Amino acid sequence: MTNSIPEIRDADFLFVTGSNTSEAHPIIAMEMKRAVGRGAKLAVADPRAIWMTEISDWHMQLNPGTDVWLLNAMAHVIVTEGLESREWIEANTEHFESVRETVLRYPPEEAEKITGVPAEMIREVARAYATTEKAGIYYTLGITEHTTGTDNVYALSNLVLMTGHLGIRSAGMNPLRGQNNVQGANDSGATPVYYPGYQRADEAEIRQKFADHWGVPQSETTGLNLNEMMKAMGDGRLRGLFLMGEDIVISEPNVGRVEKAMNELEFVVVQDIFFNESCRYADVVLPAACFAEKEGVFTNSDRRVQRVRKAVEPPGEARADWQIILEIMKRAGLKQPNYANVREIYAEMASLSPKFGGISHHRIEKEGGLQWPVETPDAPSTEYLHKGGVLRGKGLFQAVEFRPPFEVADPEYPLVLSTGRTLYHYNAATQTRRSEGLSKKQPEAFVEVSRKDARKLGLQDGQMVDVVSRRGRVRCRAMVSRQVRRGSIWMPFHFPEARTNYLTTDAGDAVTGTGEYKVCAARLEPVQDSEPKQVFPGAFALAGEA
Amino acid sequence: MSKTDTDKAGSREPHNGEPISKFVIIDGNELHFRSGETILQAAARADIDIPTICHDPRLTPAGACRMCLVEVEGARLMQPACAAKTTPGMVVRTQTGKVERNRKFILSLHLADTVQDRETAEDNNPSKLFELADRYGTAGEWTQVESPRQGRSQDENPFIEFRADRCIACSLCTRYCDEVEAVSAITLAHRGAHTTISTVDQLDLTDTTCELCGGCVDVCPTGAMTEKAGLAWGKPERELEKVRTTCNFCGVGCQIDLNVDQEANRVVKVTSPPPGTTVNDGNLCVKGRFANDFIHHEERLTQPLVRGEDGELRPTSWEDALDRTTKGLLGVAERHGPDSLAFISSSRCTGEENYLLQKMARAAFGTHNIHQCAAT
Repeated sequence: MTNSIPEIRDADFLFVTGSNTSEAHPIIAMEMKRAVGRGAKLAVADPRAIWMTEISDWHMQLNPGTDVWLLNAMAHVIVTEGLESREWIEANTEHFESVRETVLRYPPEEAEKITGVPAEMIREVARAYATTEKAGIYYTLGITEHTTGTDNVYALSNLVLMTGHLGIRSAGMNPLRGQNNVQGANDSGATPVYYPGYQRADEAEIRQKFADHWGVPQSETTGLNLNEMMKAMGDGRLRGLFLMGEDIVISEPNVGRVEKAMNELEFVVVQDIFFNESCRYADVVLPAACFAEKEGVFTNSDRRVQRVRKAVEPPGEARADWQIILEIMKRAGLKQPNYANVREIYAEMASLSPKFGGISHHRIEKEGGLQWPVETPDAPSTEYLHKGGVLRGKGLFQAVEFRPPFEVADPEYPLVLSTGRTLYHYNAATQTRRSEGLSKKQPEAFVEVSRKDARKLGLQDGQMVDVVSRRGRVRCRAMVSRQVRRGSIWMPFHFPEARTNYLTTDAGDAVTGTGEYKVCAARLEPVQDSEPKQVFPGAFALAGEA
Repeated sequence: MSKTDTDKAGSREPHNGEPISKFVIIDGNELHFRSGETILQAAARADIDIPTICHDPRLTPAGACRMCLVEVEGARLMQPACAAKTTPGMVVRTQTGKVERNRKFILSLHLADTVQDRETAEDNNPSKLFELADRYGTAGEWTQVESPRQGRSQDENPFIEFRADRCIACSLCTRYCDEVEAVSAITLAHRGAHTTISTVDQLDLTDTTCELCGGCVDVCPTGAMTEKAGLAWGKPERELEKVRTTCNFCGVGCQIDLNVDQEANRVVKVTSPPPGTTVNDGNLCVKGRFANDFIHHEERLTQPLVRGEDGELRPTSWEDALDRTTKGLLGVAERHGPDSLAFISSSRCTGEENYLLQKMARAAFGTHNIHQCAAT
């Protein structure tokens, strides 16, 4: 996020796209509700009706995978009506002209045909966004989990740059992070392209710096990203896997292929708090401590580094992940400082990463969470980015053209399946499925189907149904829902007994490798002789059902 | 070592950048205030304490409990500090005999309407009523009235219990449900002494629009709205140690207090830090507040496991597991080169752990094949 969570309440315009905020980020949704209560305008772009659309001024219910058309059409309105911020563009950006020329080819009337969003609504939202000063964009995986994920993000940032909604409070460009420490994992360099602090692994100078500090020469071969790893496992390039705190045979797209590849590996280590599905492929399973049993930091969505504190002892012989890793490194022969605690590990990372150079456990204890960049011990926390000018010097416009999703509906697979999360479970649900209360509230997997499609298939609410794609078949309960449009179906992926990711495609974004979880072609086959059962007490989807 | 920290992120100060130009006199102190500010807000900035029961900075003032009445020069009646707006030159007195007498009287009324024995009242959550009673010395002056207030006899929701005998109908919970969580699942029902908290058609909470955020428990000043988990454990919150930490679910980074029974090595329940002190402003969601069964779940891994010749995973010692891990990884690297290894780190683990795992991949095993689920 360029901006901070507590700033949301003061925004005057919120553009929420590809984010089911009230379910995936309930506390951020509370801030949004508060802003709307104050009178802020809310536009939601989402293929589904969601809780947030109940209080929105505009619901742009676009067809899945048509985001670039919608966003370029909004930009079209802004440049043709002269609503762009010329002075700001002049002072802070590069390549506006190329975007201008591109978006001129995306008129709202055409966009309406492709996205399904009325042209007039596109105009209204574009105008409101461009003419409101405190206008913030909030997005998450509905934008990025596409083969065009990077393009979608560029199209959004073009809107930000042409209106100058950057470097001020309650505006900006705000990806809401999905996991407690996904920001921190990236910050720490757990990515093939960056060392800690976003220092590029393909720069010789940077590699040398880490080689010098760690006392080991650094490889010049580019590393694989997660999506590439999954494929490299299948074709024999990868032979050994170390898996920490992630259940890839639930969470990765097209898991049927992942499972096959896991079987081929020579050596697999899984380090986790539970015996997850991936453990079935492991040669060694290492029991880890959970967050309540160890010290450290998590970095949240608004770049805030906050403490994790030990409250109880881990069960049995389980150990903190950092202690386990240190033991393996020692056995592998790497000479290391004798870290007494995680504070010293953080200090090593901070000393090598200018962006967090001024952050330490000591300072967080004293001052509370610190938002990076904080480069020196006396530098303040950074509430929002790009204050007084774009960080890289000039904000770079990137013209993007629409490309269709990897897979589109066809006569054999006539429905578009999107996947996502619900309020009551969390990702692979190794934790939340073990909560009795949550399992009671949302006990089993389901697929949301529009009333029209259900009628066509003779499918009853609560009946069992097979969801079939080119990659797999999954059985779950049908929820006849007013949330999805005709032609679309939606499934959460939390349930190991009905693994949604057998269905999804592993076609990834060209830059990030992120899988296209939001669009794949599917069909429904009602299971005959199954007793319909209502198992979704109080579900929002059913509210107001006539 | 202090186990809590204060994070100013959620500060309630208005951010409109409006210059402070007006002043009000409270207890003889000349205080500046911003337009729209209430007496309570102006006083709080000067550390003048005005007791409240039904007030919460996240909510529109209700002025219902009358605990915060103060004298305002020129006003015929005492004014509720939580709701009365400051005006230029206003003169306020918060510590006169009249104000003090009112506080005692109001407290006595509320105390007569709830469980009077402090130990019972605080069997789970601390009671704000008794904290105030301590301060103003009024406990037990009036006998308890028999309240006709009714709860819902059966609500099988898994997390939240409503105990009507403790409720004073201050409406904090229903206002929170309306204004902050904005789901309006619970509501005040009936009139007069019968006023109670209910749901549409007295449904179970799980059958309503309730999202089980537990905010009603958090704002309740009397322990009428309470967590079933704390009740079941049977130790009052006062006897539990609060450990401030960061929630391990989504990326908001809510600060939470794990309430720990140290003797039993057990996280009993999760509570929220006060509003205005952290990034979550005192709010939590159903997962952060209630989905903590996993910590002490019987299915937690407690021993290292290795796969034997017969293909079965069996418990082993740490020494053996760590040796095998290292040998296994080094073996693959020797046979097929370091880039035949991949390390998948976790966005659920700490920053330090992610740092160490990428260091292990790059420095101990010589590959940049390190990633995590950030891409998915």
